[in-house]
Amino acid sequence: MADAPQLDSLFAALADPTRRAIVERLLAAGELSVGDVAAPFAISGPAITRHLQVLERAGLIERRIERQWRFVRVRADALAPVESWLSRQRRHWTAALDRLEAVAAAQTPKREKS
Amino acid sequence: MSDSEVDETTLRLERLIPSPPEILFALWTQPAQFIRWWAPDGYEASVDALDTRPGGRWRTTLRRSDGSVRATSGVYRIVEPPRFLAFSWAWEDESGTRGHETEVVVNFESAPGGTRLVLVQRRFASKQARDNHTNGWSASFDRLTRVAG
Repeated sequence: MADAPQLDSLFAALADPTRRAIVERLLAAGELSVGDVAAPFAISGPAITRHLQVLERAGLIERRIERQWRFVRVRADALAPVESWLSRQRRHWTAALDRLEAVAAAQTPKREKS
Repeated sequence: MSDSEVDETTLRLERLIPSPPEILFALWTQPAQFIRWWAPDGYEASVDALDTRPGGRWRTTLRRSDGSVRATSGVYRIVEPPRFLAFSWAWEDESGTRGHETEVVVNFESAPGGTRLVLVQRRFASKQARDNHTNGWSASFDRLTRVAG
């Protein structure tokens, strides 16, 4: 699928629980300074910076620099490919399981009445 | 496992089906049975490969009446009739290039009046994660069955 490379990098970025927590925090807060992003996490500044770099390369977040402050926020529609993939797959399996159930029913002996 | 542990990169479907696990498992793993339910309306399904040994390939093609085709393929990880199936999964494009690779587990659990079927599709995010997972499959098995259960 044409969207696969983008999906791969999005899923790679979201596979890490700390990065998911960062994205969730930014989704809730809007825009935060890098220091505020790091505040709730018991990991080093350089580790937060690396996580932010991965998220930025995947296109999930964008940075803004204002004087000495660095801000980050989730890019608009950044999660759309993930959600669209998810809903396509869900539709696929739901319809497939409907057909599975119907074919299985035709093969299942009726229960004996006692 | 609680739903809160299912992260946004995991798809989980569960349903009660009034048929025994043996019938459902055969519908998933025998080519002649598989093609009876795999194709949506307007499509015809064919099985190109279905080797249910661990590491064995599977590939299936959907053909529409206008001639367009859509294939999915992967490799079986775990096959435990009639209770458990695990396999990798990817759609292929027209040139046969495999798209985003994922892992699917299907649990067929006996339930009163039939089977509780749980399907979990997990988007393994990086090649490294997939390789680790393939190498450490048995170590991951308990975790996966918890996900599926």
